Amino acid sequence: MRRYITRQLVQLVVVIIGISLLAFSILHVIGDPVLLLLPQNAGKEEYERYNKILGLDQPVYVQYWKFVSRAVVGDFGKSWYTSTPAFSLVLERMPPTLYLTFAGLGAAMLIALPLGILAALKRHSFVDTLCTMLAVAGQAVPIFWLGIMLIIVFAVRLKALPASGYGTWQHFLMPAFSLGTFLAPITMRLVRSGVIEVMNMEYIKTARAKGVAERMVVIKHAFRNACIPVITVVGLQFGQLLGGAIVTETVFAWPGVATLTVESIRNQDFPVVQCAVVLLALVIVTVNLIVDVIVGLIDPRIRVGG
Amino acid sequence: MHRALTLSTALILALGVATPAAIDAQTKDDTIVYALQSDIATWDPPNDVLREAIILGYHVFDHLAARDVKTGKVGPNLATSWKALDDTTWEVKLRQGVKFHDGTPFGAKDVKATFERVLDPKNKLTARGNHAKIKSVEAVDDSTVRFKTDGPYPLFVERMTAQVMQSAKVIAEKGHDWMQENPVGTGPYKLVKWSRKQEHLLVRNDDYWGPKPHFKYVRIRIIPEQATQIAELLSGGVDVIKAVPPDQMDVINKSGSSRTASSPILRTAMLQLDQAGRGGQNPFQDRRVRQAANLAVDIDGVIKYVLNGLGDRVATGVNPMAFGWDPSLKPYTQDLARAKKLLAEAGFPNGVDITFHEGPPVVEPATQQTNDAIVSDLTKAGFRVKRNYTGDNTVFVARVKENKASPMFNWSWGYYSIFDADAILYDVFKCGETWSYYCNKELDDLIHAGRSSLDPKKRAEIYVKAQKLLFDDAAYLFKWGLRGVWGISNRIEYAAPRDEIDRMFLATPRKK
Repeated sequence: MRRYITRQLVQLVVVIIGISLLAFSILHVIGDPVLLLLPQNAGKEEYERYNKILGLDQPVYVQYWKFVSRAVVGDFGKSWYTSTPAFSLVLERMPPTLYLTFAGLGAAMLIALPLGILAALKRHSFVDTLCTMLAVAGQAVPIFWLGIMLIIVFAVRLKALPASGYGTWQHFLMPAFSLGTFLAPITMRLVRSGVIEVMNMEYIKTARAKGVAERMVVIKHAFRNACIPVITVVGLQFGQLLGGAIVTETVFAWPGVATLTVESIRNQDFPVVQCAVVLLALVIVTVNLIVDVIVGLIDPRIRVGG
Repeated sequence: MHRALTLSTALILALGVATPAAIDAQTKDDTIVYALQSDIATWDPPNDVLREAIILGYHVFDHLAARDVKTGKVGPNLATSWKALDDTTWEVKLRQGVKFHDGTPFGAKDVKATFERVLDPKNKLTARGNHAKIKSVEAVDDSTVRFKTDGPYPLFVERMTAQVMQSAKVIAEKGHDWMQENPVGTGPYKLVKWSRKQEHLLVRNDDYWGPKPHFKYVRIRIIPEQATQIAELLSGGVDVIKAVPPDQMDVINKSGSSRTASSPILRTAMLQLDQAGRGGQNPFQDRRVRQAANLAVDIDGVIKYVLNGLGDRVATGVNPMAFGWDPSLKPYTQDLARAKKLLAEAGFPNGVDITFHEGPPVVEPATQQTNDAIVSDLTKAGFRVKRNYTGDNTVFVARVKENKASPMFNWSWGYYSIFDADAILYDVFKCGETWSYYCNKELDDLIHAGRSSLDPKKRAEIYVKAQKLLFDDAAYLFKWGLRGVWGISNRIEYAAPRDEIDRMFLATPRKK
């Protein structure tokens, strides 16, 4: 197990170096940031001065080395727009996004697990078809559209929930549901096929033969094993979920890091974008690591082989 | 089983950790809620270029002069009167008995400190460009200030509405960094709490020198998505929203809970034609081709049918609300036969190929739809238009800057909120300026003459000449002055502001 985790950690370091290179280079490719940053009537002199202040007059490798050595201690420089440290700006906005993502994950599971199991047990029945239809619909519906529809129904018509904003548990319901809808279909289908596959296994027959109640067979034996691919995929989809958070945050005026990132990209606010990209990537990589470890714990074949 | 446990723990954690953070000390009746599409970068208005910063600045700070929303005239605010002593000296008398939110009295020293801070290039404040004509500020006594300007400065009074008064004590003792998050003004409201990109909470300044605002609290919520803003308005979560798209007006007006109000705003839209040849040789360098373009399009029809009437036809780029506008100059009207004839005379009897660079509808509503209509009219006259759309405004603006938008692109100009012809002529029509694709020595002389005189009558005459010149020369394809549309809750009384500066302190409850 230790070797397995060590291997994962080494991979993690490689990935992080890759991300830092990417974060550093991406924005430099887009265009001259000084030109976009300066007021319209600025002269050449001002241009040179800004270039120097921002350190853009130095060779690229020097710029990268400075970037990395500071980033390691959480110093990504100050935001070019707000003059506050990029790190604290991003850190401040991180929790709402993480809460939203986990809530979306929770919502997806609440939808996907029962429906997936149900569809598997009632295979080829009307219920199964209905679940398939739901999955297709869920996959096809754009998050922003669903979000706006939810707002119109629950906030404008029924006046049951706040239309947007952040602060109370009521504020979580609609964003979490619309984000969850994004992940639920694929999970539902996986649970269904997983359970179907497992239900034909010998040990299920054994369990049944032992006289275990059908409910326990499904929950304890079948579902447990059907879970492995689900956990892996959910881990992989976590990044997608963060991507979906951008749309969800925008629709529901959620003060998260996803919208901050998009806004900073638009403003070409290098330090904030770099910091956000690195931290978000760290979150995704960490979640993937945790998933790998969990899967490894559950399934010895994975941690020994490969 | 513990996997399911982990998941449910994560869920509980997610919901549980985010316990209610909002402090609901205020009630609905004494609070007005205003929505903005994006947040300000800083609470130090001279350090922010965005309109949002100007709007919020108006609530917490005061200016030397302020525009009356109803009449549009600039009148006294922290200054009670002003006069030009000679061509390069302005003297301003200050209101007495005004206090900053921290209790220190407002006086000439604060005006001096404010302007000196802005004017010092070391401070790199974005507002510096607005006041670059001011050479020095002198406190004559506690309630009199003299401004020395670099040459005659007719826009001085207009510009006084664009500079918040900050405290000399705060500037000296607290310093720049502190001021970015802690506004100390003399204005009708004080900042209580700022949750970045989420919300501002303001409370009424009960020691305010002017008329007291009705609502005790102002909540300013940042809601990026327009559809969400409208939903919030309809469900009562927000009282005032701005920039409502024309096609959503019906939804709001039929809701029974809110209504729309529109007002002409200080922004003119046009298609710039590359007369100056910034992108190299092109057909629009010939005046006849530019005239043909102006004659080809039925702008009145576009305003009426595409914009639902939300536009005011203009003969040139000068907005009807700007000083110097000439009401007697009649705009071009559609005349396809003449347009074709002019094109033929210019050497294009079989039509001419034109690339049209289009930007996103960020400041100009329904740009796409109006462009469709305009292109179809141009085609009728023999312009074969190739359309080149750029979806990101930053990129589009950069292309314009780098001469890459030649020979034709859609553009609009907001005058930096200065209600004066100079504020568009200089930036968008003068030779060599960043946003100008037009160059005419004769016009440059008029622009120069206009900004070198303090005599309003003489200036008005100059601008009449300038507009005639622009019209005759068909400098660009002239379109219309924009109108802004606001969504307003039926529980309040609020007038749409023509300077696009929302003032929640003027809102009152609606009489039932």
